[in-house]
Amino acid sequence: MAKKSSNRNLKYSLLAIGAVILVFLILIIVRSPTTQNLNASDSLAPSSLINSITKLTNSFIQSIGTGTSTAKPIPITGPNISINGKPNILYMGAEYCPYCATERWPMVVALTRFGSFSNLKITHSSTTDVYPDTQTFSFYKSTYTSPYIVFTPVEMYSNIAQGSGYSTLQTPTSQQQSLMNTYDAPPYVPSANAGAIPFMYFNGKYLLTGASYSPTSLQNKTAAQIASALTNKNDPITQGVLGSANILTAVICSVTNNQPSTVCTPTIKGIESTMSN
Amino acid sequence: MEKETTNTQNKFERKHKVRIISGIGILLSIIGLADTTYLTIAHYTTKVILACPSTGIINCQKVTSSTYSEIHGIPAAVLGLIFFSVMLIYQLPMMWSTTNKFIRNTRVLYSIAGLVSVFWFVYVELHKLDAICLYCTGVHILTFFLFVTTIIGTSIITAEKE
Repeated sequence: MAKKSSNRNLKYSLLAIGAVILVFLILIIVRSPTTQNLNASDSLAPSSLINSITKLTNSFIQSIGTGTSTAKPIPITGPNISINGKPNILYMGAEYCPYCATERWPMVVALTRFGSFSNLKITHSSTTDVYPDTQTFSFYKSTYTSPYIVFTPVEMYSNIAQGSGYSTLQTPTSQQQSLMNTYDAPPYVPSANAGAIPFMYFNGKYLLTGASYSPTSLQNKTAAQIASALTNKNDPITQGVLGSANILTAVICSVTNNQPSTVCTPTIKGIESTMSN
Repeated sequence: MEKETTNTQNKFERKHKVRIISGIGILLSIIGLADTTYLTIAHYTTKVILACPSTGIINCQKVTSSTYSEIHGIPAAVLGLIFFSVMLIYQLPMMWSTTNKFIRNTRVLYSIAGLVSVFWFVYVELHKLDAICLYCTGVHILTFFLFVTTIIGTSIITAEKE
């Protein structure tokens, strides 16, 4: 009697376990990456957006100081990657990455003080990652010209889901990959942060990884709203973006021997002096 | 005399089975407790790194810092910690040898509740976040095996009593 009952109970138990395994299999099998964010939205940044950044005066940007930026450039002694005698600034990031999206704002502000961009795109970070859909620029297929520096951006991935990641945009050269493998790893960055993006290499003198300020202030804002906020000194966006731009400017000034003097002012040199090398 | 010997033998066999079932349950619960303790500590102490790891779908930070990592403000890791703590009590030998139907039934229901929450978290990881956290997967596997142990154990113990 007990044996019969035991067999019956065991049969029901095994059926229940089978049903549970079936549910797991369904959850795994029906997972379709194609349901993810497929809307590539790279398009040329409107000139009004670029203008709202380039019209910011040096004195206004400098009046922010370091704002709310948490950027800590790491001094290094690495290979000089100058091109035609100009210090080369390498950026490695990806369009899906919300922290890269955050960092591109101060990067564009700082870099436009030394030169100018053309074909700069607008895009957004992944809609399924943390800080979803952060509006930003994309350096993919953009051109940067400057009498002082060379800027080499590598946007490795798009924001379009593919398989377990995102579709590839640019493949780093062996030199770029080697720099990332060496300097985006301990002892230069914490082991938990190894290989993380954004990664910036300032011609063998400094490196920076991660976003320089919190992406929170950019949430639920359009690119135009972010750009227009930059004129308000007290806006958290201004404090983050322009504060970080000043630190980036100081780092760039350190590789250009403080050229041009109109950008590498005593205020910027003051920030530079706080970065030990 | 023969009946008495059979009864003693049955009691011994039953005790042995309870010990095995309880032992497996306790072991799984303790591993689950260790895993969720780690995840809870990580939740409260990990310095948020403002950078994107380029490690594909295995991305613990994306999972543990997502909006789904908290339920009504309570971190999922803490809920897991509570789940395994209560389950550990349910898996003790005295809880398996009791004839109390309430304990037996709530243990089964509790393991089912754990499993349902695992279904939800696996769905979120695979379909909403597109990322997997290996420590969380460990918790999911342990919860599944606790469910298996609980229902097989219950079916064996219940049949013995009938």
